[in-house]
Amino acid sequence: MPMIELKDIAFIILALITLGSAGGVAFSKKIIYSGFSLLGSLFGVAGLYILLSNDFIAATQLLIYVGGVLILILFAIMLTSKIGDIAVTNKSINWKVAIPIIAGLACFLISSFSGDIWKVADKTPYQSSVSFIGNALLKEFLLPFEVISIVLLCALIGSIVILKREVK
Amino acid sequence: MKQDLIYFLPELIVSITVLFLFLLDCFIGKRSRRIFPVIAFIGIAAMMLANKSSSPLPSARFFSDMMVFDHVSVLFKYIFGLAGLIAIVIANGSHELEKVDKANYFTLLTALVLGMMLLANAHHFLMIYLSLEMVSLLSYILTGSLQGSRRSSEASLKYVIYGGVASGIMAYGISILYGLTGSMTLTGVAEFLRMNAVSKTALYTSVLMIMAGFGFKVASVPFHMWCPDVYEGAPTPFTAFLSVGPKAAGFAVLLRFFFGALSQTTTSGIEPIKIIGLPALLGGLSIATMTLGNLAALQQKSMKRLLAYSSIAHAGYMLLALVALNAEAVTGVIFYLSVYLLMNLGAFLVLIIVGDQLGSEDISVFQGLSKRGPFAALLSIVMTVFMFSLTGIPPMAGFIGKFYLFGSVIKSGHYTLAVIGMLNSVVSLYYYIRVVKIMYFDEPVDGRNLTTPMVSHASTVFALALLTIYLGLFWNGLANIVGQAKLF
Repeated sequence: MPMIELKDIAFIILALITLGSAGGVAFSKKIIYSGFSLLGSLFGVAGLYILLSNDFIAATQLLIYVGGVLILILFAIMLTSKIGDIAVTNKSINWKVAIPIIAGLACFLISSFSGDIWKVADKTPYQSSVSFIGNALLKEFLLPFEVISIVLLCALIGSIVILKREVK
Repeated sequence: MKQDLIYFLPELIVSITVLFLFLLDCFIGKRSRRIFPVIAFIGIAAMMLANKSSSPLPSARFFSDMMVFDHVSVLFKYIFGLAGLIAIVIANGSHELEKVDKANYFTLLTALVLGMMLLANAHHFLMIYLSLEMVSLLSYILTGSLQGSRRSSEASLKYVIYGGVASGIMAYGISILYGLTGSMTLTGVAEFLRMNAVSKTALYTSVLMIMAGFGFKVASVPFHMWCPDVYEGAPTPFTAFLSVGPKAAGFAVLLRFFFGALSQTTTSGIEPIKIIGLPALLGGLSIATMTLGNLAALQQKSMKRLLAYSSIAHAGYMLLALVALNAEAVTGVIFYLSVYLLMNLGAFLVLIIVGDQLGSEDISVFQGLSKRGPFAALLSIVMTVFMFSLTGIPPMAGFIGKFYLFGSVIKSGHYTLAVIGMLNSVVSLYYYIRVVKIMYFDEPVDGRNLTTPMVSHASTVFALALLTIYLGLFWNGLANIVGQAKLF
């Protein structure tokens, strides 16, 4: 029997938290429960980043997704009047068909991705990733960095265009 | 870095135009909105000039392997530029877009052209993903730009949901491919696959997942479901652009992916990576796509839906050439895309001219079109040209396009596929010719005559028709230019 390392146990726990909460998001009947379940999912992902010794990404995940986006979503839910009256659209329908499909898909994915098929990076001692990310963003990843700013600008203006009232 | 900017000049010009238009929007009042399409037009035209001046440069990778410059990228920039220019002309003065804020519409359209240019030249998966998202995001916005129209908002929402799922699956596929090969660039992946053995099923799965994103852009089965609804709900001038621009960009990235990451150039030509049955996968997808598109188009009542299904079928024909995975396939796809641009934009422009005046977008609006006055008679001839060309009847350009596509398939030895493709063209004959039939043999439902539309629309539609016939007779010039184009 192969040795189970501590990091494997940590990974399994974090993956279970992430997936379990994601299930909660999808299957909750009330939107506020979905919102709170998202918390666990986002936390789990942050944990996975830490497991990969990516301190900066984990911190941004917590700051931006948990601290920013999620709080916004929760506030939006709580401040929307009569949110309970909305007809629930994520009802479980056709689960008799869905379960075999999903089970089959899951088996296929697990079987095709398990085993020693991945290219493993060289092990390096832990280093803070902040300076590395900063350098990468201004060196080899400069173009994507700039393109993202244009994409976000367009998305921002586009969302205003959609929400704006008709031009008279 | 300075060298890199020379390759990037066309993109830079469009970026500056977009940013300038965004800024201008803050300072210009409601009355001088007419200047926006003019500036967008000039910006894209300037891009095409810069593109022309950069065409003698040798192939190169720049910005730390993020982007690639080669003759295929030059050709694609011409296609995108032309699509953008025609889309601006079509949108300017369309009745449907009267209530839409012109400033934003033309700015976002220019940004969409920029996204397509980045997508066609991306060499790094991060850039592919980013530019694909840019194209998608802007398409969602422009689809939903008709305020107060339920159909437009519904189409936009559907598009967002399908698009989100497709790009999510694609990102997953890319991460698996990275996990297998340890490389994020197309040629890096190819190099690793050439030297090392990887798990076949995992590679196959990741390619299938990545195909979700690209297939969504070109509207291939099984990622085509958005296409009819979005085409129908979006404002027609934008539908026209959507059916050629992002589709061409999707094919550009497909070409790069299959030829760059999953093939290798040997002394005897291009060979697909043996490990996965690419021809079988793509052949199946392409047959399903063209058959579904053609069969569904048979029973459409709305002209926009008919053209939507026809665009799915045309995506199928072009995927067929990718099965061949030889140098002729690159030529075939690019030649077909340029021809398809002319004929499809032409067909949409006729629909816009007729629809704007008669107030409907059903096929029935074409009933007895040839009897609605002198301009309508002329327009019917033009529409007949486009319909014949879309079917692939000589002497129209569409025939030559299909000739090159099927030629590449036959050369690679996939005779069955070529036969299925030709049979599909026969099926498509039925619904294209039906439009021609009702234009000439049916009586108009009312006595309204078609008046001459604005000069820009009329001249564009005639120019497109003339080009469609011209390229059907004298295709050598274009075919030579396209034939010399080399990937990477």
